[in-house]
This record gives sequence, structure tokens and C-alpha cells, in this order.
Amino acid sequence: MSPEIQLAGIHPRSEKLIELTRSYERAKTSWNQVEAQLEQETRELIKLQESLGFKHISDGALGWQDQLRPIARSLKRVESGTRYSRWFDTNTFYQKPIVTGKISAGEIDPEKFLRTELLTGERNRKITLPGPYTFSQLSENKYYENYPDLLFDIAVAEREIIKRLRNEGVSLFQLSEPCLVYQPYREIFRDRSEVELALRAIRSVVEDNPGEFVVQTYFGDVAPVLPKLLDLPIYGIGIDLLETEISVLRDQTSKALVLGVVDSRESYVEDPRWIADAARKFCEQVDVQDLVFASNSDLKFLPQEIANQKLEALSKASELFEGSR
Amino acid sequence: MSKLFPVQEIGSLAKPKWRTKGLRQQLSSQDLSDAEEWAEKLAIQDFHDRAKNILKTSDDRERAKGVLELSTLYGLRLFETAGIDNDGVGGEQQRIEMYEHVIKGVQGMNLLGHVHSFDYKYFNKGVAQSKISRKHPVYVPEFLDVKKYAHRAVKVPITGPYTLVDWSFSGYYIQKQQTSSPKARKIEAKREFLLDIVEQIIRPEIRDLVNAGASWIQIDEPAVTTHPEPQEMELFVEAWNETVKGFNCKFSDHTCYPSEIGYKVLAEYAPKLDKCDHLALEFANRDTSHLGVDENSREGYSDLKHFVDAGFSGEFGLGVAHVHDFTGNVSSGAGQSLGRDIIESPELVRDRLLFATKIVGDPVKIWANPDCGLRTRTWDVAFAKLASITKGAELARETYE
Repeated sequence: MSPEIQLAGIHPRSEKLIELTRSYERAKTSWNQVEAQLEQETRELIKLQESLGFKHISDGALGWQDQLRPIARSLKRVESGTRYSRWFDTNTFYQKPIVTGKISAGEIDPEKFLRTELLTGERNRKITLPGPYTFSQLSENKYYENYPDLLFDIAVAEREIIKRLRNEGVSLFQLSEPCLVYQPYREIFRDRSEVELALRAIRSVVEDNPGEFVVQTYFGDVAPVLPKLLDLPIYGIGIDLLETEISVLRDQTSKALVLGVVDSRESYVEDPRWIADAARKFCEQVDVQDLVFASNSDLKFLPQEIANQKLEALSKASELFEGSR
Repeated sequence: MSKLFPVQEIGSLAKPKWRTKGLRQQLSSQDLSDAEEWAEKLAIQDFHDRAKNILKTSDDRERAKGVLELSTLYGLRLFETAGIDNDGVGGEQQRIEMYEHVIKGVQGMNLLGHVHSFDYKYFNKGVAQSKISRKHPVYVPEFLDVKKYAHRAVKVPITGPYTLVDWSFSGYYIQKQQTSSPKARKIEAKREFLLDIVEQIIRPEIRDLVNAGASWIQIDEPAVTTHPEPQEMELFVEAWNETVKGFNCKFSDHTCYPSEIGYKVLAEYAPKLDKCDHLALEFANRDTSHLGVDENSREGYSDLKHFVDAGFSGEFGLGVAHVHDFTGNVSSGAGQSLGRDIIESPELVRDRLLFATKIVGDPVKIWANPDCGLRTRTWDVAFAKLASITKGAELARETYE
């Protein structure tokens, strides 16, 4: 079977939707008009994934304002809106969650997370959420004296959110954990105990239904933590192939590996042959049966047209890869 | 002693509807009613004559010129009426925005489409499709209009080369790299692209501005704090020093919204920036909204210590007013929360200035400013914020008298 292809996060809005949201913000367009375009684009994106042979379908989270916000707005004693922070080293920003008390799940509105009504025909629904470690690292803690308490309360609350989303038919949860591999903003490299702590928090999120989870890393080299990630009782691990030094990888796994092989931050569309070749080189280093092709992070950093072309390139690369096996 | 706590703007102001519409199509007198209202507030004496010329001309270029000149005049007068000491270029009314405006003047670059920045804000991202060169001057026409109308000192904000490259797709520059490692390809491409932007675009702009009489250029480099790796910071310093080399002019850096590491790394490298006399930085965004000059109340300003410790000896432009949407709580006396805005009280501004002075050790080195350009706020809100900064600076000044 050729490698599956998946969306790995937020998909970009079209120029038309962008213009409508801008106009809405200037009070020149009604929310109904924005909503109609959002719906249409979500349908188109679903159709595109189907036509390219995706097995897990996402709605693209076109309405999400940043990667953390739906979770932040679903937690009690987490405020946001007073402060914007940069999303890693990109030119995008997120509202920084500010933790003001003991965290628990608040009112969970699935509509804030996904467009269930547009995914009605899709049995395999995928959603991307920030993992507990990344969420805790990107929040401002004004309450907890001990970091592990913060981390595990986030994990417990996230389990509740996931339970609710499972009821909406989501069958694959991508927990994005860029903070596990992104290094530059840290003064000291995360030590083994911190990695262990992060993995314990992830375990506590996934323990009920481990087969439903992918932990996705990006914006950094996964090599130092890959063996530990492979021990997690989950379906798959995501790797940013553009940041990872693959020559040092010597692993073997029965888990799915999601290869973030197209660059979500450069506009040139990768040649499918190059993608297939990169995947083959990866397989020379890592013994893996179940491969998934994806972008290395959210495609929202690109204009939509280019993002869609990259998905098409992934699809072609998947066929080429399979043909050469 | 020179005036303590002078006030500056950082760059942009929102563009009035008549300015935006007037660039595209004929205006009606109804379109200019908002301008008429502000003409009174800002004492624009010749508004009616200017409006008449704009309304009667059927020449698109002439109308656009009149509209841009008028909106620049409004921006300058808004800053002046709010009481600030340096009027910048009147709120960058002649620019599309900080990135696209420059890219449109670069031969070899194309705008590919909009990408998300935050909320419903986007920017039109460019790609280098061939080796770049200068198409036409970008900042000088605006500066010449500003010179005609400014009553106070002027500072010209320009977008820095590092940010222009960081916010663009490398295209041509990345595809020509031979190295097989994707990471190494990106870095090599960035350096080559950056040095071309400095030599081909930014230095010619500065040369023309200085020749036209500019004495203070603010180089906006918001992207620099997003890449705190030593290799990237060295690249930034190399590009900065190349940019300012040989020019007789005051230079300042404006940086805002750093990633999680804050300003620590920028502080380490700031003393290496040639001719960088002044750093204008965003702080209010990360600060509390209650009064006080203690460390807890002013937690947003703690990063200033890094600059002092690293030996940066220049001035600081202190962000004392938030420029984005605000939905938090405001303590009594610290300001007012109005819809999506906070209007900081003069007392809150004063406390921020006084706390910063404690860290920096010399009030002469502190300027007051908003965190960043005010383009996302209405003119009413921008004016209220600037007036509050001016009053807050006066209150801070009083403590030294």
C-alpha cells in the first residue's frame, strides 16, 4: 500500500476568505457571509483530500485563529487576549494563555474545534490539537508553584476535551508537540527528566485509546527524543524531515511515522520524485513499515493555492514511492 | 539637561477610509466628511481648499497624490496635537504596510498572496524569483512630503533587511544552492538573499533619505528576535553593520513581539550593532495593567536588565502602551478598557517609565512610545493613547523636577 497522506494542522484561508474576514473586521461584511465562505472552503478542502486519496480527513481548521485558542477557551482559569506572542520563529502570533488558577476542563463546545456537520460522510476524522507539554510551555503560569502540576492538570483537561471530540466522531488525534524538539528559545537544553515528564503527560492524555493518537514534532530535530517517542503507546510519531538529521537515526518501529517532508514555510512546490527519494533515504536509516506523508507543520504559512499544490505533490510522491518499493 | 522622557511614535497609524478609497476611485464630499471632522480637531486650516482640489480632479494620479499628501499632513498633525516630540513620517500614510510597500519596489520579487499573521490580520508574502535589484525609490517621496509639513523632529522608519528576507520566500536563492542538507540550503540562501537586499535595496534607500535631509532612521527588525540561534544573530549583526556603514545619521532599531526567549539574545548582540543609538522595544503587551513601580507590577519590563547587563549604552524607546486588542482586566487608576481597547492612564505610563529608569539608571536615556505602530487602532483610540503617553511622560518628568 502506498503511504497515506494527511493534513498536519491548520490549512490556509483563500484570498477570498481573507478579504471577507478583513471586511468583517471593518464591519463591512456580515459574519454570515464569512461563515458561508468558510463552509464552502471547508467542503472544497474535504473534497480535495478525498480526491487525493486521504484516509483520514480533516476540516483544515480554517476558522482557527491560532493553534492554542480553542483549547485555551475551553479551560477554566485560563485567560487569553491580553497578550500576543510569536508562534516560534514564524511571523504569526497566538494569544498567550495565562494560567490564573487550577486548570480544569470548562464548557467544551465541539463547534469551536471542528466542522462536524461538514464531515458527515467521513468515518475517519482527524483533528490537530496542541499537546499538553507544548500548551504548558507556551502558556504563562501565574498560579502553579510546581510545573508538573500545571502540566498534568492540562493533560487531564485535554483528555476531557478529547473525550468530547471522540463523541463527535474524531478517530485520529494529532497532538502537536513542537516544544519537544524546538530548541532556540531555551536557555538550557531540556534534560532527560523533563522529556520523561512531557511523555508521562502525553501518556496520560492517550491512555484510554492509544491507537487514536499521533504525536507530531516540528520546527526541530527529533533525533534526540525519537527513541523515547517510539516507546509511547500510540499509533504514530510525526517528524519534521527538514529539521531532522536523518543520518544519525538508527531506529526500528512498528508504529506509523508521519514524515513532514514538504516545507510549509517555503513556496516552491517540491518535486514528487524528490519527496519520494527523501522518504526512501529515510527508510534506509529507519526500519518502518507504516509511513504517512505530510507537510512538516501547519500549511497556514503559505498561500492556499501553493498549499494545495503541495498536497497534490505529496499524493503523487506517495504513488511513486510505492511503485519503487 | 534635555527634556526627560520625550515621546515618539513608532510608525504606522490606521488609514482613514477616504485615504484608502481615494487611491482607487473618485471621492464624494460625503467621503470627506470624516476628514472634515478631524480637520477641525487637528486644525488643518486649508482643508477645504485641499478637499476641493481632490474632489474636482479627474486625473487619478493627481487625486492619489493629493489624498496621500493630505493623509500625511493629518498624521503629522495628529501626532503633534497629541503632544508627542517626534512626528515620524505622519503614520506611514503613504505606505501599503511595512513589508509589501518595500517588496513592490524590488525587481525580481513577486507577491504570491496573503498568509495569516494573527486574528484577521494577514500579510502579502513575496518570493524572490530572480536576483533582486531596485525598481524605484520607496521612502523618499513620502519623506519629501513630510519635510514640507512637519513642525517637529522627524524620524523615518524603514523595514530592516533581515525582516524583509525572513518574511519572504527565498525562491531563487534557495533553488540555486547546491548543498544537499535542507537546513544548510536554507541558511546559505538566507545569507545571500540578505546581503543582496542590503546592497541593492536598503543602502540606496538610506543614501537617498540622508541626501534628502533625513537625520534619524529607525530600522524596523521585528523578525530578529524570532531566530535567537547564534548563526542567525551573527547574520543580523553583519547585515545591520553593512546597512549603516558610512552614513552620517542617527540609527535606531525597533523590535517587538519576540518569541519565548524575549529580548535576552538581542540584548547580547545589541552592543555589536554599529551606530545603533537607540532601541525602541515593545513591553506594555507583556506587562500588568495595574499601577506600581515594583518588579511584580512591572514584570513586563524585566528584560531591560539584559540590555544593561550586556553593556548597551544607548537610549531606550520604551513601549508603554499596548497596540493590539485587549480583553483583560484593568485595575483602578491604570486605565480604561473600552471594547477591544485599553486606554492606559497617564499614571500607568508614568509608573512604567519610572520603573524602567530604575533599571537603566539614567532618565535621559528613556523615551516613551507605544509598543509598535498604532495602525490596528482607530484614530480616536490612537489619539487617546498618545495623549495619555504624553501626560504620563509629564508626570514622570515631574518626579525629577
